[in-house]
Amino acid sequence: MFAKLKKKIAEETAVSQRPGGATRIPRSVSKESVASMGADSGDDFASDGSSSREDLSSQLLRRNEQIRKLEARLSDYAEQVRNLQKIKEKLEIALEKHQDSSMRKFQEQNETFQANRAKMAEGLALALARKDQEWSEKMDQLEKEKRLLTAQLQEVKNQSLNLFQRRDEMDELEGFQQQELSKVKHMLLKKEETLGKTEQELEARTRELSHTREELMTSSQMLSDLSQKLEELQRHCSALEEQRDHVTASKTGAENKISALVQKEQELQAFIQQLSMDLQKATAKTQEKEKLVTQLQEKVSSLEKRLEQNLSGEEHVQELLKEKTVAEQNLEDTRQQLLAARSSQAKAIDILETRVKELQQNLQASEEKLKHSGDVMVAQEVQIQELAAANQESSRIRQQALALEQQCTERVHTLEAQLAALERARVADHTAAEQEVRKLEQENAALRESKNECERSLQHHQLELKKLKEEWSQREIVSVAMAQALEEVRKQREEFQRQAANLTAVVDEKEQTLQERAEVILQKEQEIFQLKKGHDSVLLQTRQLQSELEALQSLRGTTRDEELRLPSPEQGLTRSVPEPLVTSRATQDPTFQLSAAEGVPNGEVGVMDLEQLQKDKQDLEQQLLEKNKTIKQMQQRMLELKKTLQKELKIRPDNELFEVREKPGPEMPNMAPSVTNNTDLTDAREINFEYLKHVVLKFMSCRESEAFHLIKAVSVLLNFSQEEENMLKETLEYKMSWFGSKPAPKGSIRPSISNPRIPWS
Amino acid sequence: MGGFFSSIFSSLFGTREMRILILGLDGAGKTTILYRLQVGEVVTTIPTIGFNVETVTYKNLKFQVWDLGGQTSIRPYWRCYYSNTDAVIYVVDSCDRDRIGISKSELVAMLEEEELRKAILVVFANKQDMEQAMTPSEMANSLGLPALKDRKWQIFKTSATKGTGLDEAMEWLVETLKSRQ
Repeated sequence: MFAKLKKKIAEETAVSQRPGGATRIPRSVSKESVASMGADSGDDFASDGSSSREDLSSQLLRRNEQIRKLEARLSDYAEQVRNLQKIKEKLEIALEKHQDSSMRKFQEQNETFQANRAKMAEGLALALARKDQEWSEKMDQLEKEKRLLTAQLQEVKNQSLNLFQRRDEMDELEGFQQQELSKVKHMLLKKEETLGKTEQELEARTRELSHTREELMTSSQMLSDLSQKLEELQRHCSALEEQRDHVTASKTGAENKISALVQKEQELQAFIQQLSMDLQKATAKTQEKEKLVTQLQEKVSSLEKRLEQNLSGEEHVQELLKEKTVAEQNLEDTRQQLLAARSSQAKAIDILETRVKELQQNLQASEEKLKHSGDVMVAQEVQIQELAAANQESSRIRQQALALEQQCTERVHTLEAQLAALERARVADHTAAEQEVRKLEQENAALRESKNECERSLQHHQLELKKLKEEWSQREIVSVAMAQALEEVRKQREEFQRQAANLTAVVDEKEQTLQERAEVILQKEQEIFQLKKGHDSVLLQTRQLQSELEALQSLRGTTRDEELRLPSPEQGLTRSVPEPLVTSRATQDPTFQLSAAEGVPNGEVGVMDLEQLQKDKQDLEQQLLEKNKTIKQMQQRMLELKKTLQKELKIRPDNELFEVREKPGPEMPNMAPSVTNNTDLTDAREINFEYLKHVVLKFMSCRESEAFHLIKAVSVLLNFSQEEENMLKETLEYKMSWFGSKPAPKGSIRPSISNPRIPWS
Repeated sequence: MGGFFSSIFSSLFGTREMRILILGLDGAGKTTILYRLQVGEVVTTIPTIGFNVETVTYKNLKFQVWDLGGQTSIRPYWRCYYSNTDAVIYVVDSCDRDRIGISKSELVAMLEEEELRKAILVVFANKQDMEQAMTPSEMANSLGLPALKDRKWQIFKTSATKGTGLDEAMEWLVETLKSRQ
């Protein structure tokens, strides 16, 4: 705490040591600093309630110093206040000055404003006058427009009539289209029926075909069976032939054997004969030998007898005896030989005989065998014959089979041909049906397209119709307005006429009254003097009336302007015109007798009114005439427009057909004039022949798609009728398209075409 | 029916021929432009009595271009060719200051035709190679083109003999026709 105090003191001393210290306390010393000082002092008091004298003196010093500071500040403030007062005075002076100047300015501005206002008023008056003129001009324009609008109304009416006609035609066309469509549908149905029929037929045919195929299969199976059988039979036959060959071979073998055996037999017989011959020889030999033996025995006997006789010769006898013994021995030998030969022979014979027997047995056996084989052969021959028969049969069967096969194949062929034909027919039918269907579809599509087109055109027409209707309604509104206006005009006219009649009556009356008045004047001339006093008043009255009249005339002038502007107020105003007259007359009435002397101004007024009224009447009559004329002109124009429209719409009412054809001229002036592009094309006589030639040449030589665009040019150049042009178009379309039928020639060839078309139901 | 099929085919193959008319006063250079477009060469021409028709292929688009004679006596027959026209090329002689008024009246009369309501208009300010030729903007103003409403139009400065400007014009025409489809 003390440290803080010390510090503060040090600070303050430092502050006081600064040059100009306390006196130059800047203004920016804030209250806070002062407050903090105060607070410090407060603190001092609080903390140092029982402080020492030193402290008090220092505090006093500080207070003094503070007081001084505050005083200095106070003086500052006082100075400031003084300054501010000075400034305030200055400002007051300035304010006064400013007020003065502003007042002056205000006055000046006021003056200028007044001047400007006067100028403006003048300008406005001028502008009003100009506007008045403009309005009158506009009135004229409006009148013209009215006329135009009436013309347009007529046109619109015509158009609406045409539109209705067109709509009717559209309806008719739609009916035709629907009829055609239904026809096409009917045709399609029929075709579908025929298609179904043909398909049924086809199915029947296919069933037949399958049936025949099955038959074919069975027959072929039979055929194969038969051929198998045939093969078997052939095999059998070949086996039999082999057997036969075998048998014939064995037969030949047997025959050979037989012949061999026969040969052998012959040989054997020959051998037997030889043997028997041998035997005979041997027997003959033996007989010879026996004879020899006998001879020898005789010899022996002779010799013995000799011997007995010849005993003489004993040696001889001995030798004889010896010889005899040798002979005997020989004999014995031979005998033995013979015996041997004999036995051998017998043996041989036996053998031979056995052999013969054997052979005979053999022969018998072989003969038996032969017989057997012959039997066998016979049997085999029978069999062969049978086989041959079988073979023949088999061949016959084969032939039959072949024939059958042929038949079968033929039948198959025929069936196949039939099938093919049927299939072809079916395909043809199918294609035809398809084509027909396609054609019908195309036709349908085309019809649909045309229908769409028609619909589109219908929509278009409807839109057009709508537009026209709108236009029409607008026009109608306009026309209604115009009709109203016209009616009003008519009413006005009638009223005018009535007024005119009235006025003429009034004029007559007035003339009468004038005469009467003249008489009265003559009668009452004497009374003039008596009525001089009244005369003054009457003069006044007349003056008043004149002023009134002038006012009325001016009013009338204005009303006339208005009348030109608006037909409806015209009526009221024109009606209001005679009223003042009446009132003036009414005002005149009480002073009638008085004004008899003063009748001259009144009479003048009446004559003026009369003249005016007559003029008005004449004007109105002229207007009426003009209007009638314009109405006639418009009617003419309407007729012409009707014609052109009909021509453009390609409508040909029967009664107007020839008119249109005969005089194409009058309708042309209605076309937009002044441009060569729209000038008269129908003047065919003057056309450039070269041009015609070129177009026709191109038309004949160029492509069909190009030629199609040339139809119009050609028909315009050659003055074709609508039908002829259409025929040309149809022909070209037919040429360009893939389908469709050649359009029948019409137009000049058919005279009945101009008759009204009767829709075929 | 044939039209129906042809329309089907054309829609299938996209080769429908655009129909273009070349119109303009006589001596404007219509025939030269036609043959310049078709064969790309300058041919010597005689005044067209009648018309020329050629098929011009440009950027896969086929045009059936009809050049109709522009002599005063055969101008009335232009309207026979207006139906089904996709675009009109109106050729104007840029040096013929005397007859530009006639050209304008013919153009205006042509554009008033209902059959040409949807046709695109391309104006060829031809003979730009000549020295005294008018500028395209000058010609557009004197033909009254800026006043046209509901009509796609463009003017190009061309020279049929030099072959300048034709490509740009045809480019624009093709783009416009394509975008219109």
